[in-house]
Amino acid sequence: MSDDANDRVATRQALTATAFVEIVDTLVGEFDVIDVLTSLSLRCVELLGAAAAGILLADSDEHLRVIGASSEHIHLLELFQVQNNQGPCFDCFHAGTIVLHCDLDSGSPWPQFAAECTAAGYGSVCAVPLRLRSRVLGCVNLFMEGSGGLSDTDVVLAQALADVASIAIVQDQATRDAEIREGHLQHALDSRIVIEQAKGMIAENNSTDMDEAFARLRAYARNNNVGITATAQALIAGTLSVTAVGPRGRPPPPPPQR
Amino acid sequence: MNDDQSGRLAVAFARETARSSTARLCTACVEVLDVTGAGITIMGGDQAGPICVSDPGFAALEDLQYTIGQGPCRDAFRTERSVHAPRLDGNAISRWPSFVELAQRSGIGAVFAYPLITTGAKVGVLTLYQQYEGVLSVAQHEDSIVVCEVLTEAVLSLHDEAPAGTLAPGLDEAVQYRAEIYQASGMIAIQLSIPVADALLRIRAHAFAHGETVAETAALIVSRRLRLPNDNDHHPEIEV
Repeated sequence: MSDDANDRVATRQALTATAFVEIVDTLVGEFDVIDVLTSLSLRCVELLGAAAAGILLADSDEHLRVIGASSEHIHLLELFQVQNNQGPCFDCFHAGTIVLHCDLDSGSPWPQFAAECTAAGYGSVCAVPLRLRSRVLGCVNLFMEGSGGLSDTDVVLAQALADVASIAIVQDQATRDAEIREGHLQHALDSRIVIEQAKGMIAENNSTDMDEAFARLRAYARNNNVGITATAQALIAGTLSVTAVGPRGRPPPPPPQR
Repeated sequence: MNDDQSGRLAVAFARETARSSTARLCTACVEVLDVTGAGITIMGGDQAGPICVSDPGFAALEDLQYTIGQGPCRDAFRTERSVHAPRLDGNAISRWPSFVELAQRSGIGAVFAYPLITTGAKVGVLTLYQQYEGVLSVAQHEDSIVVCEVLTEAVLSLHDEAPAGTLAPGLDEAVQYRAEIYQASGMIAIQLSIPVADALLRIRAHAFAHGETVAETAALIVSRRLRLPNDNDHHPEIEV
């Protein structure tokens, strides 16, 4: 290998290492998934010599959506979008394997897509799956200017970058799920607590016991078509006067017949 | 068996145990982690309630942390890190004076609190009590972290099954246990025309000054045997 070629390899290795260190660093702390995926797209362009790159994720209807791209250019975004009908991303997502097409000019399995690529100035294209065990979450889509596609080494690197993207996506989903679940638990906890506090307020104001206080709270909520928790919260916040809830409303319904 | 499978199985067993009798969950922690006692508390903000303790004696220690707002359990929840007090010495005394006093009287030599935490959610604390002074072994510490992951997932998945806005049976005990405290704060808020949050502080202060637990003071208020005086009045407290 010439000195020049050696230098290029060394530079690329250094860039690759830096890219992975940077991405892994981001994933350790709190991160914004869109931010991580956008910078991953930029890294793909830089490391693989691609002209453009994008990361597409399948939604619950298996519709591929762009979630991060190296450029917001409208032609590029349209090229991603059109692949819900045909194109390398469509094939890659459904087969779960790498799809590489080295020369879009001379015969392509996706005529409409190929025509739009040529018009936009792209000669070859590659789609790499975002994998999680046996599941395919979406794909990384790479566009190259000339024909020739990617070398074998580049394809391996592209898959490694895609795997990092998968980790970011899965980690982000797990965090969101956990936040939602914790939110539900906290809401239920808070709800029980404010109801007990409201019972205390009504009982004290009307010299009743807690059961009667709860019956009045429930009657007020029902007669005014608001939730019990919302009524209790309004009492605690002072936006609803305890004297408004205190008087007996309609008698509570009889207990259900057994 | 891979990690994924064993994790799911562990959570399923923990969830079923919690459903039948939550006290068993703490007994299991004591056995698995080889400690003297254990308590699990679920918390939301400043509100807390024990789900279970391996022995009723530890309930007083968990309750005290709520009464006075200090202790390893609260610190672990707030900092989201485990809190280790292998000796209840000067350092521990200056951090949690009242907690250490009661712990020593209860024959406790060391306390360790682990937050029940997962990415994006924290639901409570597992507190481990040791009769003798000394640090936990590396294995005990590592196992505690795994136990906490299982407990967190068990609490969340128990709750997933409950109808929206309600607490799952088992978790319900955490609030039920303190129901009178919340009711009493509502009553004091009306008696003294103060916000409910301030009323709770007044109840805590009374409990602390009279050497009672918050739960004991609250029970007196709810049964109308105790009224707290207004700050502006100079009447002594009326215990009927």
